[in-house]
Amino acid sequence: MDTEAATLLFAFLAVSAELAVLAAVVLAVAGRWSPTVAAWRRELATWVGPDALRLACVVAAVCTAGSLYLSEVANFRPCFLCWVQRGFMYPLVLLLAIAAWRRAYRTGIVLAGVAVLGGTVSVYHILVERFPTLESSACDPTNPCSLIWVERFGYLTIPTMALSGFALIAVLALAARP
Amino acid sequence: MPTTRPAQATRSTRRTPAPRSRRSSPPPSPSRPARRIPLVPILFGVIGLFGVVAVVASRGAGHDGVPAGVQQVRPVSVSGTALPVLGDGADPAEGVVIPEVDGKDFAGDPVALRRDGVPKLIVFLAHWCPHCRNEVPVITGWLADKGAPEGVELLSVSTAASLDRPNYPPSTWLDQEGWTLPALVDDADGTVARAYGLSAFPFFVAVDAQGEVVARGSGELDVEALEHLIDRARSG
Repeated sequence: MDTEAATLLFAFLAVSAELAVLAAVVLAVAGRWSPTVAAWRRELATWVGPDALRLACVVAAVCTAGSLYLSEVANFRPCFLCWVQRGFMYPLVLLLAIAAWRRAYRTGIVLAGVAVLGGTVSVYHILVERFPTLESSACDPTNPCSLIWVERFGYLTIPTMALSGFALIAVLALAARP
Repeated sequence: MPTTRPAQATRSTRRTPAPRSRRSSPPPSPSRPARRIPLVPILFGVIGLFGVVAVVASRGAGHDGVPAGVQQVRPVSVSGTALPVLGDGADPAEGVVIPEVDGKDFAGDPVALRRDGVPKLIVFLAHWCPHCRNEVPVITGWLADKGAPEGVELLSVSTAASLDRPNYPPSTWLDQEGWTLPALVDDADGTVARAYGLSAFPFFVAVDAQGEVVARGSGELDVEALEHLIDRARSG
């Protein structure tokens, strides 16, 4: 699989994550007003809840593997903000795996918090890409964070994909229940 | 008449809950489905399917072909003392003579940076730098409006070219932007950039008629700042 195919795969996964998060948000909001939607939400929670931590762990692992592919195989050098996002994503793989193994569903809210923090950094990185002057008025010759290495479907850059992953992890962690 | 008291539970008859293993499964909730969907294997299956689609869909994709004879890096010859890197505060290169460079443009035509008695403004560009990509239209627009400045030669240097970075190749990028300035193509080591003390992109060096640096700067410049640099090069 070459870089072109790999980034396209990551883009597909990111779009899927975004759709899943959107569906969760719609169910959560609409369920406050519609008993039917609330019933759907509860039914979905019973199906997904027991596996939610395992699913979140898989998502974190895929994001981690993707970031390592981009830096080690595709030679896209991670900038400072990339490393900060990695600092949130990589530990989530281990934490979610342990939480899933121990059936520690109540840790979901803490793990969701970690994902939200990582997603916040992703949001800032996206802003730096779109508004390079947030970082500086000039490009660091080594590796500026304003560099857009990949852009799929007109908007999916690497931090955007990371944000999609963090968002899905947060939703799944919050949905975790026995 | 004595009343009968209900039999009280004794220790032997009192029901004690069975000890629960810490890792035992919680009792199923009433609404929990009897047969669970294997979501994790399904997720792996979806990832695999996306992978196959991605491989098939990306076949034939890649960088656009570069016209024959157009090279994105070229050997250069530098003579003279390299300028110190531009840092914060006063520029240590002010009043220092520039190193001379012999090289070629993308098409292979000779381009030189020389101390030839003509003031110059040299702009260093990297194809992947967002600030360079913002700056190039400013310069081309300014040249289209006002024409080439009198008495000052404008030159550019394409440096830090990298196949792995976006907006490659630089030759195509500058062609698409309508870039008309002579573009000296740096080598893969960025020899010219280092010789001129480049600190960031885009990078400007204003040179007077004596071949000495009068000002250097980095970052996006508006038209007013460009004209100021031109004036400083012209006046020395």
